Amino acid sequence: MAITMRKLILAALCAIAVLPISPSQAQQATEVQVTYSKGQFQPNELRAPADKPITVRVKNLDAKAMEFESKSLRVEKVVAANSEGVINVRALKPGRYEFYDDFNEKARGALVVQ
Amino acid sequence: MRARIRPGRRHGIVLGAVGCLFWASAAARAEDASSWRDIETKYIFGFTTGSGIGLEGEKEFTVDSIGRFGKRDGHYAATETKYEFEFTPSQFIQIEFGALGSTHNIGGVSDLDDRRQVALSGGFAEFRYLALERTSSNPLAVTLAFEPTVRRIDETGGERVHNYEFETIINADLELLKNRLFAGFNLLYEPEITQTLAGDTEREAKFGGSAALSLRIASNVVIGGEVWYLRHCDAANLTAFTGDAVMLGPTLYVQFTPKMFMTAAWNTQVWGREIGNPVSLNLVEFQRNRARLKFAVEF
Repeated sequence: MAITMRKLILAALCAIAVLPISPSQAQQATEVQVTYSKGQFQPNELRAPADKPITVRVKNLDAKAMEFESKSLRVEKVVAANSEGVINVRALKPGRYEFYDDFNEKARGALVVQ
Repeated sequence: MRARIRPGRRHGIVLGAVGCLFWASAAARAEDASSWRDIETKYIFGFTTGSGIGLEGEKEFTVDSIGRFGKRDGHYAATETKYEFEFTPSQFIQIEFGALGSTHNIGGVSDLDDRRQVALSGGFAEFRYLALERTSSNPLAVTLAFEPTVRRIDETGGERVHNYEFETIINADLELLKNRLFAGFNLLYEPEITQTLAGDTEREAKFGGSAALSLRIASNVVIGGEVWYLRHCDAANLTAFTGDAVMLGPTLYVQFTPKMFMTAAWNTQVWGREIGNPVSLNLVEFQRNRARLKFAVEF
């Protein structure tokens, strides 16, 4: 039994070791830019190609911090007032991925991947 | 006296749960759901765990208590609480670890010593890998999880032991209605080995699965129900079957703020059997009721 447990743990660790755990770095990332101004994303719809890593550059022009967040992209990043944040996203399947400012209920946008 | 749930009452519970879902569905239709943000599915199914792994860079502190109540005789109440730190280092992986605390209040239960105690009982770690992600064209998401646990206090009886458990679980969920209605499924295999202070070694394993349905009735409230089927064996390869049970009950998830939430669940054993014992319910390996209460803060 002890051997079986050790084998199980070893197998699990081996499985974890071979899993892809971060956005693919092999491909060149597509960069998309969005500006945050007066509590709104501009533009509020971004477009990017499917199956390629994406870099989202967020420019916060407001005088207070915002948090770029998306459950479907599985990213969050606080961007300080009058500064810029860069978010690396894995290669995505085609679809619509919503994002928002976690500090502002009304600020929303979407990344459309085709 | 054995407190059984009669078939009529059992049907009443199921009908009541279905009725609640329909009522909640009507209430949810009344609210404009188009403005709701996406929801993290990991905690919306009660004891059933959803596929969510959080957001890259997110950290969370959680207090997660599970209480188990009721054996065939006497009085039995035991809890195990996880004091847990979890973080998501990438968009595919989530890691959790923490300490375990336990309480036992046992009196007059066959095969268990009377005991009243509070103890720091062990530690655990969990690794979660998102194997299949949900997209706008694919409603299914699947996560694989491994959770090694070490205990110095027996989970059931509360005596001093050396216990090593290795839970492996598949968490899947399906978005049935966009941002509104979700189905969750778990498949569990949990072998463990226990060495008592007297020098005995006990081997056992739990195997089972669950199905859950959760409805978002407001942007920050999800209610639902779940059913679990669990089998117990006295061997890791699941050969020495000793009994099984079906647990059923309601679930609740409330998001207080964007960074703070709670989840609660109650399961009652509605069917069970012990091999070699013609009684109803399995109250040797499982309990009559179990409850879960979890609070989490993200930062």
